[in-house]
Amino acid sequence: MEAPPDPALLAAASAPAPAPLRAPEVARLRQEQEKVVTGCRERIQHWQQVEDDYSALQERLGTLPDKLSYSVMVPFGPFAFMPGKLVHTNEVTVLLGDNWFAKCSAKQAVGLVEHRKGHVRKTIDDLKKVMTNFESRVEFTEDLQKMSDAAGDIVDIREEIKSDFEFKAKHRIAHKPHSKPKTSNSFEADFANVESKDVLADRELWARLEELERQEELLGELESQPPTVIANGEDTASSEEEKEDASTRVNGRVNGHVNGTHPAAEATAPSCRPADDTVAELLHGPSCAVNGSRCPLSDEDEDGDDDDALGPEASSVPTIYFSHTVEPKRVRINTGKNTTLKFSEKKEEAKRKRRNSCGGHPAPELPTIRTPADIYRVFVDLVNGAYVPRKSILKSRSRENSVCSDTSEGSAECEERRGLLRSVSCEDALGSDAGESILEEEQEQEPLPEALSPAPGTLEAFSGTVIEKELSPCLAPHPATVHPVLPTIPERREVPSEGSEVTKRVSKFKAARLQQRT
Amino acid sequence: MEMPAREARPEDGAGRAAPGREDLSSRIKEQKIVVDELSNLKKNRKVYRQQQNSNIFFLADRTELLSESKNILDELKKEYQEIENSEKTKTKK
Repeated sequence: MEAPPDPALLAAASAPAPAPLRAPEVARLRQEQEKVVTGCRERIQHWQQVEDDYSALQERLGTLPDKLSYSVMVPFGPFAFMPGKLVHTNEVTVLLGDNWFAKCSAKQAVGLVEHRKGHVRKTIDDLKKVMTNFESRVEFTEDLQKMSDAAGDIVDIREEIKSDFEFKAKHRIAHKPHSKPKTSNSFEADFANVESKDVLADRELWARLEELERQEELLGELESQPPTVIANGEDTASSEEEKEDASTRVNGRVNGHVNGTHPAAEATAPSCRPADDTVAELLHGPSCAVNGSRCPLSDEDEDGDDDDALGPEASSVPTIYFSHTVEPKRVRINTGKNTTLKFSEKKEEAKRKRRNSCGGHPAPELPTIRTPADIYRVFVDLVNGAYVPRKSILKSRSRENSVCSDTSEGSAECEERRGLLRSVSCEDALGSDAGESILEEEQEQEPLPEALSPAPGTLEAFSGTVIEKELSPCLAPHPATVHPVLPTIPERREVPSEGSEVTKRVSKFKAARLQQRT
Repeated sequence: MEMPAREARPEDGAGRAAPGREDLSSRIKEQKIVVDELSNLKKNRKVYRQQQNSNIFFLADRTELLSESKNILDELKKEYQEIENSEKTKTKK
């Protein structure tokens, strides 16, 4: 139901100061009310038309099953017709809305139509009520106008509203003070949010920011804090970079972005620090948190480690922690330089470093996520007992579960790495790989490429042989049946051997290739 | 197959809440045309009736349709007469 703007009425309703009744405003009021009335009338007309249509339909549906078929003129587009027959006269498909259809008999359809007619009637009744209501209002306004024209004594009651108390917008009460909605990576957005509030709120906010900064300085956590653990392996160059970064971070707050976004990170990090802190404080419950604040699930992930004490002292590195995903503690992911780094291993390394350098300061174990690629490395899925890195949503999934088992891993990066892996494996005769475990043939998923010994010399993306899937069953993926010819590579054990739970797997291609070579 | 004739029947019973005089008169004209056309058809012709609010036409009996249309026309004329009479009485008063 519409309510026309009644400025004069509103003014009339409130307070004390009298003023002469203004004729043009009254006239306008009447106009608006009449508009409503005519609008209502039109709508009533429309709905009555609809009701008539439904009645006709009901009638037709009632008689439809009487004959087996009707000869009709079938419409061919908007202008053409063709003689035809209407068959299956008792089967009616009814649109329920939202492209859902229901197949029912003619009688059932009649029932449905009746139900809809009820709704239409209700709408018409409501519209009629509104119409009568506004018609009476129109009458009243007319009378008012006549009276005011006739006798000049009638005055308009007006109230002067002081603009001091006037709020420009409705202010919603936050459930928790300074709470903010979910923020994205862009910290400018956070600033925008902050600015949109009152001046008073701004001041409070800045005061809080300063407070937090002071706290941080006191704790000095950030200065001594080594880099937050990087959960998964990165590219060859980057993993080395990170180790360098680890040391540099100890000294200064340099954010080493893995994929070469160094300048951006450095630029943003210091400037964003205050925002980080605020944001860290302000975020509640949302699944993503930046730096300082801790999501409940991420807390759970670090349950095992007693060193957790991220608390209010946020690191300078903007990091997103997701609470909706479970981070597996030990994941084997190919880093591309033929070594697989485990999540836990890196964590422990980092921990050790920190302990050595800082003398037992607590350190967070959350992986540092700075780019979307990190996300896909950190958070892996547990598929059929295997850890499979998540595929980027931007990557096409068309090659998943294809005959070519290597493609099931998905991301281009992984494929590149796999290419390297494969070539390396050819040269190193990965008997140990085969020995560990070869993925069962039922599993379509590509097993995580396991660690290889450092590759000598040239790495080829494609070894030159393409092996069909059918060959692979002959490899008999059974850990017990180690290929006797292939020597085990003892070096492999050293690298990721700390508490490894994930068995090493080799791709079917690799395995086939190995077999071929032997 | 002999050539069928098709006729689109005007929608009946639309908005009878307040039959304006002009509205009535136009409807009367339409009905007159319908009756004339129906009566002027050859015996072998097929007549189709449009289902309301849709584009589908059902075969209908010509003679039946003719008689039906004539009835509607008579009704409309009566209504028109009534309104005219009432208006006349109003103007007289």
